[in-house]
Amino acid sequence: MMVNAGINKPLLRVVVYGLLTVLTIIFVYPLFITMANSLNPLYSLSTLLPTAFEWENYKMAVTTIEFPEYLKNSLIICAISVPLTTLSSALAGFAFARLRAPGKKLLFVIITSTMMLPGIVTQIPTYILFHKMNFIDTFYPWLLWGIGGAPFFIFMYRQFFSTVPKELEEAARIDGCSTFRMYATIFMPLATPATWTTVIMLFQGTWGDFITPFMFLRDEHYPLATALATIGYHLPDNPNVILAQPSSAAAILFMIPTIAAFFFGQRYLVDGIAAGAVKG
Amino acid sequence: MLQTKKWRQYATFYAFVSPWLIIFIFLGLFPLLYGLYLSFTNFTGFNMNQLKFVGFSNYKTVFLDSESMYALGRTLLVTAINVPISLAIGLFLAVLLNLKIKGLSWWRTAFYIPSVVPVVSTVLMWKFIFSGDGLLNTLFDKLQLQPINWLGYEYATTALIVMLLWGAGGSLLINLAGLKGIPADLYEAAEIDGASPVRKFFTVTLPLMTHILFFNLIMGIIGSLQIYIQPILLSGKTLLDSPIKPNYLYLVHAFQQIFAFQRFGYGLALMWVLFIAILLLTVLVFYSSRFWVYYETDQEV
Repeated sequence: MMVNAGINKPLLRVVVYGLLTVLTIIFVYPLFITMANSLNPLYSLSTLLPTAFEWENYKMAVTTIEFPEYLKNSLIICAISVPLTTLSSALAGFAFARLRAPGKKLLFVIITSTMMLPGIVTQIPTYILFHKMNFIDTFYPWLLWGIGGAPFFIFMYRQFFSTVPKELEEAARIDGCSTFRMYATIFMPLATPATWTTVIMLFQGTWGDFITPFMFLRDEHYPLATALATIGYHLPDNPNVILAQPSSAAAILFMIPTIAAFFFGQRYLVDGIAAGAVKG
Repeated sequence: MLQTKKWRQYATFYAFVSPWLIIFIFLGLFPLLYGLYLSFTNFTGFNMNQLKFVGFSNYKTVFLDSESMYALGRTLLVTAINVPISLAIGLFLAVLLNLKIKGLSWWRTAFYIPSVVPVVSTVLMWKFIFSGDGLLNTLFDKLQLQPINWLGYEYATTALIVMLLWGAGGSLLINLAGLKGIPADLYEAAEIDGASPVRKFFTVTLPLMTHILFFNLIMGIIGSLQIYIQPILLSGKTLLDSPIKPNYLYLVHAFQQIFAFQRFGYGLALMWVLFIAILLLTVLVFYSSRFWVYYETDQEV
């Protein structure tokens, strides 16, 4: 009944599983080898397989630069940005899916076209604006952006809320529910998969974003992403000697939260992306 | 009575979208138009009080500057290679996983995981893989092959594309959802007609996946035209370093003009040209889609 009923033929099965194994090695090996090399002795050459377990490299990764400070900044930015963006996107998505008003079509066209807008186009003028407001080197910009939500997720929530049966809404209305209460007590709980998808994807995006902090913050307020992209690991007295092993260790440490978020939310992501994109 | 109810709904709608709308006006629309205005001036970051209107001069420079045209060419080249291959790999992986196989979620995780690795980590990783005595050359050495200067002039773009393709599994989840949505009876019907698996792929799977491929194509093009950080970090140490020439992409050029040379007006003009190019391309792809994208709902209407 699936694409290929012939998967039961032994030869074909060998081919398919063989292919899967080769592809898995191709995709996972770069990660594996980075981990292996992050544990090699300092200044050693690359090896194809693990040779040593120098955990000292990880200690160097967090002590050579102000790692804890940058980590704290990453966490602050995520803590401000992710929940606010999610709430605001859900609210707007709900309105676009379930409420009627003049001008709604136009606003929705604006949402979809801002999805195509390269973020960097607005960032320089925004810098001038924030400079005038004395917001440079503060976390206020993330607060404001958070309140504004994100077009992609507004779109996703709209797709999701459009699929909720009208009967639920009518029942709530007969009970005299206000629109906001209906949204908060009926629609939001139904949207849990969409919400997890949003939170995870926003977290991954915010955690990895180095360019916005690079523009709006200064050194000591950089999150990890910006610090790793601009400062890096080299000998204190010779910036040309790059410390490959601690650098690899930092790359591994930095990806752990986003990978963990993926594992944690995998089942939601699969459904959430299906609901959001396929019907779009 | 009904009238007030209607108005109340309008008010609720605007109340619900107001956080987005207000911020959009102040931090979206205003900067956008302000940037458009600045792209017609000689703005360099410090001369706010003596701004001069220079007409289309910045835009003329975009098209006359040999560097920006070179960068545009390289960007189109990278996009033309990266997007179709990514699309094909993403679809191939999904079709493979959609066979009745054991351990689906493990394979899926393996293929998808590169796309959840933050780009800073990705570049740091691949930088060492590509480096002179890095992993790839160690491997080549074991295979008795000549080492290659991956990040040098000749191979830098190949290296960049390899690194980008590593994330090709990013479209996997969407593709899998799309494949699940294809009704099984279509395959059964094809089987009764004696269609081979290859034929089934081209007559059933591919036509019914076009709307997903279309989505991936648009997102792929938009994303690919905006690449700038990977080339910068692959060969440089900081964000202000210029990458090796073949990887000098369009947005790298804009980024350099703004941050390294303070040519803000010109940099903004570069970005506006890109923005308009993306809009035009999207419209073009949308327009062409009616010839190759199959929407089930079109036939019901």
